[in-house]
This record gives sequence, C-alpha cells and structure tokens, in this order.
Amino acid sequence: MSLIEWDEKFSVGVAAVDHEHRELIGLVNETYNRLKRPDAGVTVPDFLGEIYARISAHFALEENLMRAKRYAHFDEHKADHERLLDEIRDIMDDYEDDEVFDEQQFAQRLETWFTGHFSTHDARLHRQLD
Amino acid sequence: MVEALQHAGRRGFALVENAFDAAFGPRINPFYHLGALAFFFFWIVAASGIYLFIFFETSIDGAYGSVEYLTHTQWYLGGVARSLHRYASDAMVIVVLLHLAREFVLDRYRGVRWYAWITGVMLLWFLYASGIGGYWLVWDRLAQYIAVVTAEWLDWLPLFGESIARNFLNSATVSDRFFSLLFFMHIGIPLFLLLGMWIHIQRISRARTNPPRAIMFGTLAALTVLSLVYPALSQGPADLDTVVSVVRPDWFYLTLYPLIDVWSPGAVWMVAGGGTLLLMILPWLPRRPEAAAAVVSLPNCNGCGRCFADCPYSAVIMQPRTDGLPYDSQASVDPDLCTACGICAGACPTATPFRRTTELVAGIDMPLLPVRALRQRALDVMAPLSGPDRVLVYACRGGSDPGALETAGVGVVTLPCVGALPPSFIDFAISRRHADGVMLVGCAAGDCYQRLGIDWVEQRLAGQRDPYLRGRVPRDRVITIWAGPRDGAKLARRLAAFRARLRDMGPFPRGGTPPDASASSQGEIRNVAY
Repeated sequence: MSLIEWDEKFSVGVAAVDHEHRELIGLVNETYNRLKRPDAGVTVPDFLGEIYARISAHFALEENLMRAKRYAHFDEHKADHERLLDEIRDIMDDYEDDEVFDEQQFAQRLETWFTGHFSTHDARLHRQLD
Repeated sequence: MVEALQHAGRRGFALVENAFDAAFGPRINPFYHLGALAFFFFWIVAASGIYLFIFFETSIDGAYGSVEYLTHTQWYLGGVARSLHRYASDAMVIVVLLHLAREFVLDRYRGVRWYAWITGVMLLWFLYASGIGGYWLVWDRLAQYIAVVTAEWLDWLPLFGESIARNFLNSATVSDRFFSLLFFMHIGIPLFLLLGMWIHIQRISRARTNPPRAIMFGTLAALTVLSLVYPALSQGPADLDTVVSVVRPDWFYLTLYPLIDVWSPGAVWMVAGGGTLLLMILPWLPRRPEAAAAVVSLPNCNGCGRCFADCPYSAVIMQPRTDGLPYDSQASVDPDLCTACGICAGACPTATPFRRTTELVAGIDMPLLPVRALRQRALDVMAPLSGPDRVLVYACRGGSDPGALETAGVGVVTLPCVGALPPSFIDFAISRRHADGVMLVGCAAGDCYQRLGIDWVEQRLAGQRDPYLRGRVPRDRVITIWAGPRDGAKLARRLAAFRARLRDMGPFPRGGTPPDASASSQGEIRNVAY
C-alpha cells in the first residue's frame, strides 16, 4: 500500500528532477510501510534520515538549476526549501522523542510535508527549468 | 633538515603574527594576506607609474631632468608618485619574500601545491628585473652604477657576441634608442610579471588578490606618509665619463649587486641561478606523501555542484554524466589538485549522520575519514561524556592543539579542516542529545590552512552558504573559535565560559517541534550568536 502515488501532474518536465521525485515518493512509501510493519533491522528513523539526505540533495540540484537559469523567484523558492528541510527535521525528532505516537497523524504529516514541496513548483519555474 | 627549518620558521612567524594579531586583530593581520598584498602593491606601482610616464622624457639628456622636475617642482603629485612607485616596489619585494618563506614553513609548497611554488619562484626574476630596470631609467649615479654592473653581469653569459658594457655604456655611444628600449622593457617586464601572477593563482579557486580594505587603506596611507616625509631622491646625474665610486643602493632590489664587484659575475650567477634551481626542486626534496584524494560515489551524486563551488583548489570539476542516470552532470576529482582537505564532503548534501539505512556514503567523500567513520568517531567520543555541559569539539589539524581540551565532559574529533564538517553533524549532536553544545575550532581567523574552510563554515552557520546549518539548531549551543597554535589558553577560557552557559541553559528540549513553532522560522537563521 502506498501513501503517495506518482502522478503525472507532479512532473516538472526535467528528467533529473522527475527521477528524484519518483525516488522520494518511493522512500516516503517505504517509510509508511515500515510504520505499519516494524522491522528491527531497518527502522523508521533510518528511512527518515534517508529521506532527509535525498531531499537535501534534491533541493541542492534544483537550486543549482535555478541559479543557472537565473530564476527570478530564487530567493522565495530557496526559503521554501529551507523551511521544508526544517520541517522534515522536526518530523524526524518528533518521531524519535514522542512518547505517544499516532501513526495516522504521522503519516498525514509526512504526506502533507511531501506534497507541500510540489506546491512550491509554480508554472513559471517549470518553464524556466525546461 | 627541511623539517627543522620549517619548525624554527613556524616559531618565528608565530611570534611576529601573534604580535600583529594583538595589534590589529586576526582579520586584518597583514601576514595572512601576503600574496594579496603583493597584488595590491603591484597596482600602486602601476598607477603611480602611469602618472610618471606622462612627464617622463625617454632620452639620455631628458630623463634625469624630467625626474628632477617631478621630484622637486611637482613634489605634491609627481614627487609623491615617484616615491610611491619606489616604496610600493620595495614593499612588494618584502611581502613576496615573506610569502615565499611563510608558505615554505607552513609546508604549503609540496605535493599538489608544487605548481604555485614553481611559478612563484620564477616570478622573483620578473620582479627583480622590473625593479632594477626602473632604477636604470632615472639615469642618476645609482642608475649608472646599475647600468655598468648589470652589463658586467650579463656580459659574463656567453649570450651576447660583444660586450654590452663596451658598446653601449660610454658617453659617445649610449643612445636615445637604447634608452627607449630600456623604457619599453620597464613596461613589458612588469606586464609579464602580472601575467605570471595570474598564472601563479590558476590552480586555486577564488584566489584572494585584494587584501581587506583596512589593510589597503592602512598600507597606502603609510606609504604616502613615507613618501612625503622621506621622498625618493636621485643621486646626481649620471656621467659615463667618470666612475661612480659611492652610491646608496636600494637593498631590496640590489642585494646582490655589490657582490658582483666583490666576488665575480660568475659567482653571483651561481648564487642567483643555483638558489633559484634549489628553490624550484624543493617541492621534491622530499615530496610529501599526500593523503588520498576525495572520491565521488555516483549513486549518491546528483551533480548539484556544491563540492565544485566550495573546493579551494579547483580539484573538483563537473563533467557529463557517465552512469546513465538522468542527471546532466557528476562531480569528478582531479587527484593532482586535491589536498584532501575534505571541504567538498562538508558541502555535500548527502553527507549527513542522520542517514542509516543504506550504508552511509556521501556523494563525495574522503578515503582517510569518510562521513560514515566521522559519524562513528563522533558517537564514540560523545558516548562516555557526562554532566550537564557536555561539549563535542570539532577541530582542524591546523590550529591549536585540540587534544588538550579533552575532559570527562568534553570530547574532541579532529578533522583535516573544520570546513570538512557537514553542518548536519552539529544538528545531529545537539538534537539527538549526544552533547549539550558543539564547539568548532579552526585555524586563526583570516588564515585558514585550507584557504576557505573558515569562510565556508561561518557562512554555512549564518545561513548564507549551502549547506546551511538548520535554522532550528539553537545557535547559543554552537560556538566557533578560530585560534592559532599558541592560543591554547584562550581556547580553554572560551570553552569554560561556553560550558558555564550550557549549564545555565539546561538540557536541550525533547521533540522536534518547538512549543512556539514560528521560533524556528527563517529569520532565526540570520541571527547567529557565536
């Protein structure tokens, strides 16, 4: 079962960016499945850490593209990235530290966080990255 | 032998540099900007030279008079320009020789740094040729002395069929055309010097060719005052029919000239040529075993280019993708340029200790201390720490001795450069509550051994350079100290004060979301409390 399904509407038209979006969705879904079926070997924090690393690299690449194309709204977009990185770190720490854990609420938060990233992609950026 | 020299030299430099640190502060200590100062002095010489050029007469009969006019009649501009032209040239010799000595004692001339060393040594010849040529043009008695002795010196080489001294340097044959030739050489050689200076800095990125403003204004003001109080003067007109017996040479440029007479031209060729040759082969006497160069892990590299942007040695380049993944580029390391400083790994977004699933490998990593080993070392060091004020110290090898700081509450992890630390390692230590605070120790400010490590760390912490230290990391739990090898006591004091502050703050709160969520917003990133 998947938390997020890949949707063509997610596509930004840049092969590298789409590729990473697919990878990230895969990781989010694996994390979600791990929540449902705990495994002593690979834990939820492991997956969250991996998501954090991948999304960091993903933003780094996007920012590099935006800089190269002199994207007009770079600063705002960059601020969105930093906010999303802070949020995933909050999610990670809450998971590790919260004594009372609500699985559904957590999954919801992860999904909101992830789709939040897509809402930062406006049509203008798509055109510029293309 | 080399090491003993370096050791003694380091002590000498440290003594003087500490005095300058105390007087001016490390940020504008001229000893940390010697190369950039050489560029600055070059520009002063160039600018003053252009002004002198307007009034200078390129002829045997006119040269001396035009310089006298500049010096005395137009003392307020021409005289100052002449003095600046001279004193900035002298200053350039001083900073260049100090630069050479300092890079030698700091062992920054061997291994991959051979290129800058060799080109630098060659530049010495252009520098001296430029300066000596300038003295010649004044055509006073010193110029005459230089002309005669230089001719003798050059005549020793079997290059010229007939003696320069006999053919050109007597009152009947020295011609305006010969003088014009010298004049153009005095423009051409400095231009080659400038070209050489540009070549000299090719293998490093973001070469600092301008010293900080305070140093520029300070040195320019000092040179101007010197020019007004003690203006450069000519030593009487040249007369090739008489022999110059007494001159006051400029010891910065003409150091070897008396020896040409006292010994012989051949002996001075041996000293100058042999010395140059010795300096040139120095990087291989012996060659320093270099730590293994950075390696790229393609499955972890998406070509974001952060390592490329941060490498101080231009050792990382971005090249077209080779593994079929749908990215445009990938990082690639030229081992001949890599000093293994690790700054690239510090910039890599995948180099984060929060990763655990797959084997932690960064997109670009150091074989000597990969991020996985760094993570383990940090955990090992932090595990036994106890008390309410546990501090993890990340220290570079270039600064003061960090091992001395270790106690029951303080653990130390040593890095090749403090810039090699990915900022998320700070986040990790504090938010996972492995330590109550993190202290970063680097080389003296303004003098990062790996050139840019300290700048990048400061900017990463301030949210001005990727990767940012997350805004949610409380900045009062992070402290940076840039300290030289002799700053041990200062370091210990700062650490004690930091731990006292940590005790007052109490433990780091649990959970990621702070009670006031807006407190971890963007604005906080820019308010860094060190």
